[in-house]
Amino acid sequence: MIKTVFFTIITVIFFYIIWINNVFAPHEHYEMPAQHAKLAEDVKSYAKEGKQLFEQNCQACHSVRYDAVYLSSVQANPKLQTLQEKYGKVLPRDVYEAVFNEDLMALKESFGKVPPDLSTIYLVKGKEYLYNFILEPQKILPSTSMPAVMTGRPEETAKIVAYLKSVSEPSPEEKNKRVLMGVGTIAYLVVMGVLLWIWRGRILKRIGLH
Amino acid sequence: METSRRDLMGLAIGGLGAVGVLGVLYPIVKTLAPSAASLSGAMVEVDVASIPEGQVRVVSWKGKPVFVVKLSQGFQWMGKVKEENNAKLLQGQEAYALIAVCTHLGCVPLWKPQGEAEFNYPVFHCPCHGGFYSPWGDNIAGPPPRPLHVPPQKREGSKLVIGEPGFVKELT
Amino acid sequence: MLGRIGRWIDERAHLSELWQSQMVDYKVPKNLTFPYAFGIMAIVAFAIQIISGIFLTMYYQPNVHTAFDSANYTIMKEVPFMWLIRQVHAAGANFFLAIVYLHIFTGIYYNAYKKPRELTWIIGWLIYFVLLTTALTGYLLPWGQLSYWGMVVTAEIPTSIDSAPLIGSLKIGETVSIWMKGGYEIGQITLGRFFGLHIWLLPLILLLLVSIHLYLVRAAGISNPEGREIDKKKEGVPFHPYMTLKEGAYVMGYIAVFFFFVFFYMHHFLPPDNYDPADPFKTPAHIAPEWYLLAYYTIFRSIPDKFLGFVAFNLTLVLLLILPFLDFSPLKSARNRPLFFIMFLVLVISSMALTILGTMPPTPTNALLGLIFAGGLFAFFLSLPIISIIEWGWYKARGGNKQ
Repeated sequence: MIKTVFFTIITVIFFYIIWINNVFAPHEHYEMPAQHAKLAEDVKSYAKEGKQLFEQNCQACHSVRYDAVYLSSVQANPKLQTLQEKYGKVLPRDVYEAVFNEDLMALKESFGKVPPDLSTIYLVKGKEYLYNFILEPQKILPSTSMPAVMTGRPEETAKIVAYLKSVSEPSPEEKNKRVLMGVGTIAYLVVMGVLLWIWRGRILKRIGLH
Repeated sequence: METSRRDLMGLAIGGLGAVGVLGVLYPIVKTLAPSAASLSGAMVEVDVASIPEGQVRVVSWKGKPVFVVKLSQGFQWMGKVKEENNAKLLQGQEAYALIAVCTHLGCVPLWKPQGEAEFNYPVFHCPCHGGFYSPWGDNIAGPPPRPLHVPPQKREGSKLVIGEPGFVKELT
Repeated sequence: MLGRIGRWIDERAHLSELWQSQMVDYKVPKNLTFPYAFGIMAIVAFAIQIISGIFLTMYYQPNVHTAFDSANYTIMKEVPFMWLIRQVHAAGANFFLAIVYLHIFTGIYYNAYKKPRELTWIIGWLIYFVLLTTALTGYLLPWGQLSYWGMVVTAEIPTSIDSAPLIGSLKIGETVSIWMKGGYEIGQITLGRFFGLHIWLLPLILLLLVSIHLYLVRAAGISNPEGREIDKKKEGVPFHPYMTLKEGAYVMGYIAVFFFFVFFYMHHFLPPDNYDPADPFKTPAHIAPEWYLLAYYTIFRSIPDKFLGFVAFNLTLVLLLILPFLDFSPLKSARNRPLFFIMFLVLVISSMALTILGTMPPTPTNALLGLIFAGGLFAFFLSLPIISIIEWGWYKARGGNKQ
C-alpha cells in the first residue's frame, strides 16, 4: 500500500514538473499594468481598432499573413490582387517572398534583417512581452533594430496586442465551444469508466469470481 | 430482477459506447467539410468598369471558368438564335456572367467579337465540335443541346457580384 | 436481424470460437496490479497516434517553405476540427512515451524480463528505440524554431565520436551527421526523408514489433507480481470479463486524463517557441531535447569529455537492453527482493532527477548533480550481478534447486 502511494505520488509530481509547471527552470516574466492587460485580452472590443492601429504604425515593416495583411508597399501593389486570385487571400510564403522580394530586401537594407511576420507572435511571446517590447524595444532586446514607434502610447499598444491575439488565437466564441467539447468528452469518459466498473462487478458476482 | 438490471447496464454501456464512437467520428468526418476560406470562393466580385467595352474577361467561380461579358454602348446584335432564353433573362444588362463551359461536352468556348465562319457578328465559338452561342449564351448552331448556364449574379454599383442572387436569382 | 448476420459470419469465420479460446479460456493471475494495464494503454496510445496521424498527412506539406503554414494555418485554423486532431497527435506523442516509460519501469520492478520472457524484453527495447526515433523525426515536421534547432543539436551528437582518441581522426561522427541530414545543413532533403520515415517506415516497423511483442507476451503468459508462475488450470481467472472490463475502465480513465490535456493544457506539448517559424540564422534562447530524451542529454553534457559523454549515454541504452542477462538471480519481483527494491528506487529517482536537470541551465552545480545521478543510474545496472550473486547464496541456503 505504502509502495503504491509512494510511486503514484512521485510519478504525479514528476509529470507535474515536466509538463505543467517546472519550478526548477523558470522562464523570464514580464509585467504590464492591469488595465492595459484587460485591454489586450478584450479581443471583442479592441481587435478591430488594434488592426487599424497596426496598419498605421506597423504595417510599413511587418506583415500578418494569416490575416491577409501584407507590407504597406505590397498592399498597394496591383500584383497582389492577381496573386490572391490565384492562391487565395493567404499567399504561400515562398510565393509571397519571391514576388515581393524587392520590398523585403529594401527592409533588410534598412534594418539588417527582414522584420518578421507577426501571424503567430502572440503565441510565441504573450501579451506582457509584446506590450513591453513594442513600447521599449531596446530595453527588452538590446540588439534589436526595431525602432520605438509607440512611445508614450501604452493604451494603443495594448490594443495592437489585442489585434495580434485575435489573429493567433481562436475567437472567444470558438474558445467557449472548445471548452464545452472538452468538458463533455471528459465527463463521457468518466461515466463510461464508472459504468464499466460497476457492470464488471455485477458480472463477476454472477459467475462467482469476485 | 438481478438479470434485468444487468442487461440494462449492458445495454446502457453498449448505447453509450455507440455514442462515443459517433463522437469520435463526428470531428473526423467534419474535417472533410469545406473550410471557411474555400467557401468564400462561392462569391466573386468583378469591377465592370475595368473591362474594356465589347470584351469578355474570364474569371473563376466555384472552380469553374466564367465569362464576364461587357457589351459596348448601344450594342445591337444581328444574329439569330434557336430560342431566346438567356437573352430574355439578361435583357438590359450592360455586363453579365455566363458559365464558360460548353453544354455539349465541357470544353471552354472562345469569344469571337469579329465573328467566326459563316457568322459575321460577335459569337461564342466552341472549337471542339463547332458549337455556336450568342453573346448571351443562347444556341445558334452546332451540337450543344442547351444555352450556356447563367450563374446567380447581381450588380452593386460598378461591380458585378457572381454567386449572389440578383437580376439572376439562381443557376440556370 | 443483427443476430442473424452475426451468426452467418460466425459460421464462416468462427469468431466466437476464437473469442472463447483467446479471451475467455485464456487464464491470467488474479493478483495483477494496476501497472499491468500500461501495456494496453500503450496500444491505445499507438492507435490514437496512427489515426490522428493519417488525417494530418492529408493537410500537412513536407516542404520547407510551406510546412509551418500547413501546420499552423491550414491545420490549426482553416480545416474544420483539424486543430483538435493536431492537438491529439502532439499530446498523444508525449502520452505514448510517458506510458511506455511507465510500462518499462513496471516490467523492471516485477522482473518481467526474466526467463522465459527475455525475448519479450528485447523486442520491447527495440520498440522503445524505434519509438524514440519516430518521435524525433516527427518533431522536425512542424518546422518551428524548436523543431529545427532541436534537430541541429541532435544531428551534432554523432560528431562526439570524432573527439575520441585514434578513431576520432576517421571522422565517422561527421559522416553519420551528414548522412542524417542529407547534406551539410538541415533542409528540404532532411525534411522530406524524415517525413517518409515518420509516416511510413517507422510506424510499419513499430506495428511489426508490437505484434511480435504481443504474441510473445501471450506465448509465455503474463508475468505475476509475486514472481511465481501460476498453474493456469487451478488458479487464474478468465481474461474476459475479469481483465478486459477492468482494463477497459482503466483505459477510460487514461483517455479522460489525456483529453484534459488536449483541451485544456497544451502548453508543454505545443510549446510557444515552436510557433516561431524556423530561422537558420537565429538560435532560440532555450534549446534542449524533449523531456523523453533529457535523461540521456543530461548524462551526455555532465561528462566533460564529449566522447566519454557519448559513450556514457549509449551505454545506458545498451545496459537497458542486456538487463535480462545482468540480472541472473533466481528470485523474481521486487516484492521478494529488498536489495533489488532499493536499487530500483535509486533507478527511478536518478532517472527523474536526470530528466529534470536537463530542463535546467548547465551550471557547474547542475553538472555535478548530473554526474551523481548518472552514477546512480549506472549503479542500478552494475549492482544487478552483485545482487544476483548474493541472492543465489540465500537461495541455495534456503534449499532452492533452480538450475
